[in-house]
Amino acid sequence: MNYFDANTWIGRWPFAFLAAHTAGSLAGHLARQGIGRALVSPLDAVFAPEPGPANRALLRAVRNSGKLEPVPVINPALANWREELAACASDPRVRAVRVLPRYHHYRLGAPAVGGLVRELGRLRLRLIVQIRLIDERHEFHAMNLKPVPAGELGTFLRNHPALPVLAGGLLRRELLSLAPKHPRLIADLSWAEWHDTVPHLLESVPARQLAFATHTPFLVTAAGRAKLDTAAIPFSKRTAIAGANLEQFLSHETKSDRR
Amino acid sequence: MRAIDIHTHPLLRDDHRGRAGAAQLIGRAKANGIEHIVALGDVLGFGRKPTEAQIRRINDETAWLMKSHAGYVTGFCYLNPLLGERAVGREVDRCVARGFRGIKLEIANNARDACMRPVMAAARQNGLVVLQHAWSMTKIRQRGFHTDPEDAALLARRFPEVRIIMAHLTGCGVRGVLAVKDCDNLSVDTSGAAPEEGIVEYAVEQLGADRVLYGSDVPIRDFAVALARVTGAKLDAATRRKILRDNARALLKLP
Repeated sequence: MNYFDANTWIGRWPFAFLAAHTAGSLAGHLARQGIGRALVSPLDAVFAPEPGPANRALLRAVRNSGKLEPVPVINPALANWREELAACASDPRVRAVRVLPRYHHYRLGAPAVGGLVRELGRLRLRLIVQIRLIDERHEFHAMNLKPVPAGELGTFLRNHPALPVLAGGLLRRELLSLAPKHPRLIADLSWAEWHDTVPHLLESVPARQLAFATHTPFLVTAAGRAKLDTAAIPFSKRTAIAGANLEQFLSHETKSDRR
Repeated sequence: MRAIDIHTHPLLRDDHRGRAGAAQLIGRAKANGIEHIVALGDVLGFGRKPTEAQIRRINDETAWLMKSHAGYVTGFCYLNPLLGERAVGREVDRCVARGFRGIKLEIANNARDACMRPVMAAARQNGLVVLQHAWSMTKIRQRGFHTDPEDAALLARRFPEVRIIMAHLTGCGVRGVLAVKDCDNLSVDTSGAAPEEGIVEYAVEQLGADRVLYGSDVPIRDFAVALARVTGAKLDAATRRKILRDNARALLKLP
């Protein structure tokens, strides 16, 4: 099985005792878990005044890794987002960018996000919306951060019906409320859980809308694997969820087409 | 790998699976290597303050599970301490007579409240383990009825002769582990929230391997994910064995 992880991070998270992965340590860790490839974003971009330096460091860090695919973080609330996006897009390995609306203090309905969507379309880059990084009940006591509400993502998807979007960190009930109504939405599985998680989701959501993800290092990597490995589902659906859906999402056309 | 799951709710009104669904859930538990489960009842099926009749109904369902899966299911008697000493006593007597081995407490009240005295007295008198729901209240403003780890610690100090399980290690977090560290009569179960990295290792480091118990909280959670919190943690094999099975076996006096 080719596992392609839709949600991993390198760098240090200050509020929990998590592994502060480098590109090398993350690749090794994922390999030990039987995960061959992963999308990776930089944690340093979450709280930095602007994500540029962290994105540059990410692109440098994974330059020799065939297993980690860089996903820079873009903050459309900042004046330099077009410049930053152009810089990231000039790296041929970049096929998607990740946005963190609540950590970066904007809503998906903000005009700048509409501009970002148009620019991503022009550059043939995919959009990943990170709904949450950690359980909001466990946020650092002095911070008041909430996840992106499912309703806000739903409105955004309604306003952009042709836009493929990967959502990272949806809970089960959020996933079930959104995916059936928005066929271009792909949901990563990292936060969705029920006693029979994957078969339960497949009762309402087509397999093509689900993507394997561990959310390493926030969540136990083996738990992400176990969720899919123990699911009693047909091989074709398992293969799609494990990696094929994510690859299809990313490779809507060859890289050379966007030059 | 063999495991005892200290925290399950095989029957839950919310998901409409019914008794057939409970049997399927138990089948899946067995398929995941779980050799015994503790059934805690549908503790929020009638809201957070169930009546005496509703409590009886929930515990009757647990008794049915124990009878239907004899030797596989241990029942804990769900109580609402707000119902008072007589009601608590009646229900504990009824459950003990049916072979229940513990008491489950949810969010009718905070564990520091005076209404806990008859509950803990009944636990002491009958040799019952008390499993208290808990979550760190730093971001949840419900401490009036929702037990924080500091409240669980206070309960453990007030009743040192009663064995207490503080539920939801992940919800209690680092702060919660530290709050209960000096309470030798209190263990934690590994259930609660998503499988956050590092917290099981931290609990073992601070409390010792003997005070951490595997629990899943199914059907809200997935057995495979819950087990991977322990099997995927950086722990030696002996520690894993204690968390997954040996600690619960000793606590419940299982063969």
